[in-house]
Order: sequence, then C-alpha cells, then structure tokens
Amino acid sequence: MRLLVVEDDPDVGDDLVRALGEAGFVVDLAVTGDDAWYRGDTENYAAVILDLGLPRLDGLSVLRRWRSSGRNFPVLILTARSEWTEKVEGIDAGADDYLAKPFAMGELVARVRALLRRAAGHGSSVIRIGRLALDTSRMSAHVDTHTIRLSPLEYRFLEFLAHQRGSVIAAHDIAEHLYGTADVGDTNAIEALVTRLRRKVGPGIVETRRGFGYVLSEEG
Amino acid sequence: MPVRSLRLRLLASAAAAVFLALAIAGFGLHLLFERHIERREALSMEAKAHELLAALRLDTQGRPVVDPLPSDTRFNQPAGGLYWQVSTASGQAHSPSLWDQSITSMPGTPRDHWRIRRVPGPFAQGLLVIERMVEPDRSSRAALVQVATDDSALSDAQREFSLEMIGSLVLLWLVLTGAAYGQVVLGLKPLGRIRAELDRMRRNPGARLSADHPAEIDPLANAINSLADARAADVDRARRRAADLAHSLKTPLAALAAQSRRAREAGAHEAADGLDRAIAAAGAALEAELARSRSAVAREAQTASRANVLAAAEAVAAVIERTEAGERIVFEIDVPEDIELPFAASDLAEILGALMENAARFARRRVTVSGTAADNEVCVTIADDGPGIADTRAATALVRGGRLDEAGPGHGFGLAIVSDLVSATDGAMTLGAGPLGGLEVRLAWPAATAS
Repeated sequence: MRLLVVEDDPDVGDDLVRALGEAGFVVDLAVTGDDAWYRGDTENYAAVILDLGLPRLDGLSVLRRWRSSGRNFPVLILTARSEWTEKVEGIDAGADDYLAKPFAMGELVARVRALLRRAAGHGSSVIRIGRLALDTSRMSAHVDTHTIRLSPLEYRFLEFLAHQRGSVIAAHDIAEHLYGTADVGDTNAIEALVTRLRRKVGPGIVETRRGFGYVLSEEG
Repeated sequence: MPVRSLRLRLLASAAAAVFLALAIAGFGLHLLFERHIERREALSMEAKAHELLAALRLDTQGRPVVDPLPSDTRFNQPAGGLYWQVSTASGQAHSPSLWDQSITSMPGTPRDHWRIRRVPGPFAQGLLVIERMVEPDRSSRAALVQVATDDSALSDAQREFSLEMIGSLVLLWLVLTGAAYGQVVLGLKPLGRIRAELDRMRRNPGARLSADHPAEIDPLANAINSLADARAADVDRARRRAADLAHSLKTPLAALAAQSRRAREAGAHEAADGLDRAIAAAGAALEAELARSRSAVAREAQTASRANVLAAAEAVAAVIERTEAGERIVFEIDVPEDIELPFAASDLAEILGALMENAARFARRRVTVSGTAADNEVCVTIADDGPGIADTRAATALVRGGRLDEAGPGHGFGLAIVSDLVSATDGAMTLGAGPLGGLEVRLAWPAATAS
C-alpha cells in the first residue's frame, strides 16, 4: 500500500518514512505544501500523513484543496498544536484523524492501520434510497441537495439499512452488526444513534416500525 | 506622624479655616458694637452737656456757676452714675452726684468737638467721659466742661452681646464644619467608587473602570484603564510567546524521538531509553505549561466573548467520532441551542474536548452531553455507560498529574487541567456516578456569569 508522508522536518520525515516502510508500506515523502498538493492530486495513495506546519502552503489549505477536487484518501494530520479548536478545524477541513507531536511511532502506525481498515471496502458508488443518497467512497450522506457529514458509526448504520432495502431491521440485529453484541445496552445505544441521526438528516429518512425495527424511507 | 486620611486632613483644615474666619469676624463685631454703643452714649451725654452749657456762666472771679442745675435727677444723687464738672483756672463746679470727688482732666482738650475717653472714676466706677473747652461769655475765659457716666452698664451690655455673639459663632462654626464634612464626603465619593472598581479589576483582570466618572476623576480613570490594557497586552504577549515556544519545541522533540529510534536500531538501547524518558518528560512539561498558560489567559480574558454550548459539543463530538476510540460511540447531545457561556469558545472546546474524549475512552456504547439553564446556574453534564470510578479515584483524578488511565494514550485523564480551566472561568466541576452506570462529570457556572 502506498502512503504519502508530508513533513518538512527532515529528522521526523525520515523517521516516518523508515517506520512506515518497516511496517510494510511504500512511502513517498513531500517536504513542502505545494509538492504535497501536487502529488496527492495526481497520484493514488491509500492514506496521507500530513503535517500542518508546512512552508509556503499550510497543511489545512492542502487538505481543503484535495477535498474540494474530490480526493478521498484518508488523511491523518500531525501538528505541534494540540488545542481542540485545531482538531475541530482539521476534521472540518476533511481530516480523518489527528495526532499531536511529539507522538509515539507505534501509535502513529496503529492509527494509520485503523484508518486504512475503516476506508477498506468502500468502492466509488452512490446508493440512493428515497431522498437519501449514500456516498460510499466519502462516507457521507446527501439528503435532497444537502451534504451531511456522518460519523463512521452513523454511516455504517445507514449503509447496513441501505443494503437491506425495504426490510424492517430489528435494533437487535443492527446492534449485532455494528457491535458484534446485542444486549440491552447495545439496543439502547441504537435508539440513541437513531435519535442523533434524525437530528442530522431530518425527519422522514429513518422510519421506526414500533415493535419491529427500522427501515429507510423509499419515498422520494 | 502625618495624618494619612485625606478626609481627616480636608476636614481639619476646613474646620481650622472656618474657626479663624469666625474669630476675626467676632473680634471685628465686638469692636463695632463697642464703638456703636459709645457713640450712642456720647450723643445722649452731649444732649445733657448742652443743657449744662445753657445754664453755665462765670462769676466775676472767673469761677463757674451753673444755674439752673441740669434736670436729670441722677446728677443730684451722690454716686448716682451720671456726673458733670466744669473747671476754670479760678475754680470748679460739679454735680452733687460727685459729692467730694472730681473727674480727672487731661491736657489737650479740644475746643471744636467733644472728646470721648474712659477714665477710672470715683466710687470705684469706670467712667465714660465727654469733655470740651468752651468760652461761656465774651471774656475769652475758657472752661473745661466734662459730662461722665458710669460705664458699667455699657460694659454689661457689651459682655452680654459678646457672649451671645460667641454662642452664635460657635453654632455657625459647627454648621459650617458640618457642611464642609458633607462636601468632603461628597467630593471623595467618586474615589470610593474607583476603589470598588479597582477591587473588581483585581478579581477580574478583564474588567475596566467605568467611563462615567466626574470630569476631574475621568483622566485618572482613563490613565488606569490604559495602564491595565498595556499590562494585559504585555502579559498576553509574554504568554503567547511562551505558548509559541512550547509549540515550537514539539517538532524538535519529535525529531529527537526519531534519533532515539535510530539509536535503538543501532543497538544503543540504553541511550534510546534515556532519550525516550527525556522526551516524555519534556513533552509532559510542555503540555502542563500550555495548560497553565491557557487557564491563566482564560482567567484574565473574561470579556464579551461567548461560547455556544451546543455548537462546541457538536464540534467536539464530530472530532471524537472520527477517532478510533470514538468511532463505536453514540453521542447523545441534549443541549438547548441558546445556552451560552461568557468566555472564549476555544476554552469551552478544550473543557468539553478533554471530558468527552475521556468519556468516549471509557464508554461502552454511549456518551451523553446535556445542558440546562436554571435561574441561578448553567449546568453541563457529561456521562458515559462505562465502568465508572470509585470516589477515591475521583479525588485522585482531580489532583494535578493524577491519572485514571495510566496505560491510556495521550496525556492521561487530564481532569486536573480541565478543573483549572473550569475554575478559571468561574465554574465548578464535580465527579459522580451517572445514570448510565459510568462516570458523570457535572460542570456548573453561576447564572450571573452565564446566560
């Protein structure tokens, strides 16, 4: 798997390349924002490790450019700043995870693997059910003309229902699919998940069949 | 010892000045009154003297003869208090009231007007005398005419007047000193307000003196405000510089970590271990310093900025949901849209971020964030369905450096850092058992500082 590391500090950059290389990845290194943007825009990477403090073009701008031109690879951002407002800004710009410097290399490799695992199996297709469109490559949802950013759990819930198009799925089965277990706590969590999801996508998308379960509305 | 109270100094100087002015006025009044009653008495005696002059003649030897005697009966009673005496070179005539005594004379008696003087008189009386040289006929022989009255009645009147005047002046002094006290209190009142506002500034460095002081105080208030602004800017600059320095050290620390890995690969395990320990210690010190700096800034910067609780909670949840620890967690956020807190949104994000991330790390499936605004406080509660903690561990967690999850990633539980930030924003944080079975962290800010 090919990764892009964007880091201007030579020691940290070399170390990342070596460590990820040892972990079995093929790694390219970019040391400026311009170079990073060009490589990410023209080549296919499985994931990108992006430092935010870059010369010429900062990391967040690079990330926004990639996302606006439809580049969907998962991005892990690295930064010296660890404030939550920065994390929020990074996630808003399209990052998938966040690691503050100084970091343990083992943790970085584990995070990259987790990102790749989450992104795996999502082809470039759009599933449409009623007013809802699920973009499986970006793990996002569209309702009418609005784009809605989903958490991974919310996405997996909608994707599961979308694949069971027209069937009413019990909370128990959904919990079993999402968590691998289905006790009372899990089914309560599913109810909470549906409540939160309805707040994001609006009413009339996820329907409740009282006593049976949930189904995606097919009404256009 | 110099008097340090401005009020006492002003009051004492006002009282002394009023006293001096009234004393001078009293002395002047005393003199005026004395002259006034002397003149009145002199006029009365002149009338009697004219009656005497009309009856005065000189006999052939040049001795004075008065016939008829003046009508006032007091001239006829010995020591009666009213006397006349006419003296020439040849002899003397006087009122029966003088008995065998006489009125002393003094050279230089005028011919054209009556001279007034006080003399010790007969019968142990003090006398007020008017005297003048006259020529009773055409013989050019001069006679000294003196009319006198006992001045004890005048002295009594004067004493009574003086006593009454002193009483009135003391009363006036008290009234004027009271008025001066009122003036001092009224004049110094703005200083009292300034003191109260400065006290507020000490407790809340973001506060400033109000702008509606009297014109004389305004420049002082403005100068103090400018000084406070300049000092706040200096402190802010210094803190930012410290924070920037701390941030700028993180990349070199990451580079050191790279060196450590290389050393380990080259077989220098001990050196690598030492480096790793140093990197961990430096990293922890940097984080602690950054947290301290953030708390200090939050304490000083309680300005007009407001943080929306729902927006901050949603933004933080969006971040955590994407991390590995949070991807299986459902965040139930039940916060009214209009709940706001009176400090920077970044500080609220820091508080909620640390608490919600911690809750997600321990939760099994769910993390709830709820917010309520009651009459006297705004309350935000974060609870999870994890294993929860014992009270003793809760206490440990609130101590700086205390951690619930020594093995967890990141910088430990960090509740002490959050607690610092909460108290810096005038809030309170309590830990307890939540309704979902896990830990519940309750944050409360007084309604006076929240909305």
